Amino acid sequence: MPRPMTTSPGMPLFHPFFVGMGGALLIAAAFTDAMYVSNSLMQWANFSAWLIAAGLVLALLATIMLLIDGLFGRAGRIRLPDLVLLGAAAILSLFNVFVHTRDAWTSVMPSGIVLSWLVAVLLLIAGLRGWRVTEIRAIRTRGTV
Amino acid sequence: MIRTLVKSTVTLVLVAALGACDTKGGDPARQYGPDPWLPEPQQYLLPPMSVPQVVGWQPGEMPTVAAGMHIQAMATGLMHPRIVYALPNGDVLVVESNGPGTEPFRPKDYIQGKIKARAGAAAKGGNRITLLRDTNGDGVPELRTVLVDHLHSPYGVAWVAGTLYVANTDAILAFPFTPGQTRITASGTKLADLPAGPIDHHWTKSMVAGPDGTKLYVGVGSNSNITENGMAAEEGRAAIYEVDRLTGTKRIFASGTRNPTNLAIQPGTGQLFAVVNERDEIGPDLVPDYLTSVKDGAFYGWPYSYWGQHVDQRVHPQNPAMVAKAIKPDYGLSSHVAALGLAFSQGETVSPRFADGVFVAEHGSWDRVPLNGYQVVFVPFANGRPAGTPIPVMTGFLAPGQKVVRGRPVGVTLDRSGALLVADDVGNVVWRVSGGAH
Repeated sequence: MPRPMTTSPGMPLFHPFFVGMGGALLIAAAFTDAMYVSNSLMQWANFSAWLIAAGLVLALLATIMLLIDGLFGRAGRIRLPDLVLLGAAAILSLFNVFVHTRDAWTSVMPSGIVLSWLVAVLLLIAGLRGWRVTEIRAIRTRGTV
Repeated sequence: MIRTLVKSTVTLVLVAALGACDTKGGDPARQYGPDPWLPEPQQYLLPPMSVPQVVGWQPGEMPTVAAGMHIQAMATGLMHPRIVYALPNGDVLVVESNGPGTEPFRPKDYIQGKIKARAGAAAKGGNRITLLRDTNGDGVPELRTVLVDHLHSPYGVAWVAGTLYVANTDAILAFPFTPGQTRITASGTKLADLPAGPIDHHWTKSMVAGPDGTKLYVGVGSNSNITENGMAAEEGRAAIYEVDRLTGTKRIFASGTRNPTNLAIQPGTGQLFAVVNERDEIGPDLVPDYLTSVKDGAFYGWPYSYWGQHVDQRVHPQNPAMVAKAIKPDYGLSSHVAALGLAFSQGETVSPRFADGVFVAEHGSWDRVPLNGYQVVFVPFANGRPAGTPIPVMTGFLAPGQKVVRGRPVGVTLDRSGALLVADDVGNVVWRVSGGAH
């Protein structure tokens, strides 16, 4: 009589770490933007520009890691809502990094900070959902139960 | 579903990005004179950057001058020449210089620096003053020596009563000097500090001696385009200083002048004039650079407003009291021409058309489509004030098609014979334009 099939958790995914780290930077930019709006000190707007630029670099790394997860067979089914949330956050941030190249006040007010907070909300939801766009592929083994 | 969503978002982004940089500049002629056309300011998504590639002058190539005038290269192979200055004995000083370099604050600064470098802005300056001696006045110097070396981003020079004043980016130095000397060995003494680092965005310190020789006037540029390096960095900047030649005591003579790149005293009246470069990144036709007589105590708007009471929304906190104080400059030269050179004509030495007025060198735009400037113009005067439209004197710095740049004019002056000398910091040449009689 054949032994029953069981599943066990597979190898960890690579991409969520990069999604989470980039997400944290982009969320931080919403706060540095808010600081600039409240005190008009340019250094806060400079922080925002760097945070968003770095967040986008990590978004690119996360995309590469997602492909690697796929190639190594670690990724399971795509989680559509998370892909949409994170994709939208990345595209809005691309806009935002250009808005932040403007000089002084208009680099943040009004469109820069609106974009930053929109991105922060999207990322907050994505974060609470687990910072990942795929399921972990379960490994099926012949159980010994 | 996702594909459609992504596709439409990407299209939206591209359309917005392209739309933002699609705005082309209008006819510069609409912005000449005392009442220039001023469009509504715009905000860019991508910073406006449009610089032609530097190729330099190929053998046989020269700037174009009008019929009846003669052009020749008086000196070549210089190290980023910026200012030319004629001494009473006919010797010509060439200030070879570039900025001390600034640390980037933002990701944008890296990219913008790289693109401007493409236009030759990053070439190393000589940090020295070269002397050219042309005894027989044929425009070919018989002697060329390094007069002073190891300066710190020098720009303006003025010789008064046995002393050569050199405006380094951080201080005015005084050297004992008698025209005829070909080498200064004495180390200069510091007359006065000038606002400089650590950012030093507009590093040039233009300088001219006042009509009675007791005062020096020094142009100090802003430390940013429009306060993006913080308000604290603008302390004492964007102003024209009056410095006592003997004591070094200085006071702000006029303020709100974003980048007063050159100063000149009007012959006869003794009135101080300046060319000033205005702010960037609110449109291809904002804000016109200008030529103006400089009034004692006047405020010309930067950063809060431009051309009188046109408020700049990028400055925060705003200052309505200062906006109310801002006066309009005399004469618009059109936007982004980067007027750097200024010299009064001295009669009909270059051409009968250029008897009364100023020569203005326009270094050329880096953020405007189509490009603007890249020429030397003559602004005619009537009754001691600029009047009429600028007349091109030297063109051809930009090759036809606006794709490559051969040279960029900076400082201008007249030599002893009345010929026009023009420093070209991309061609590394000093050009000499003489009238038919010379």
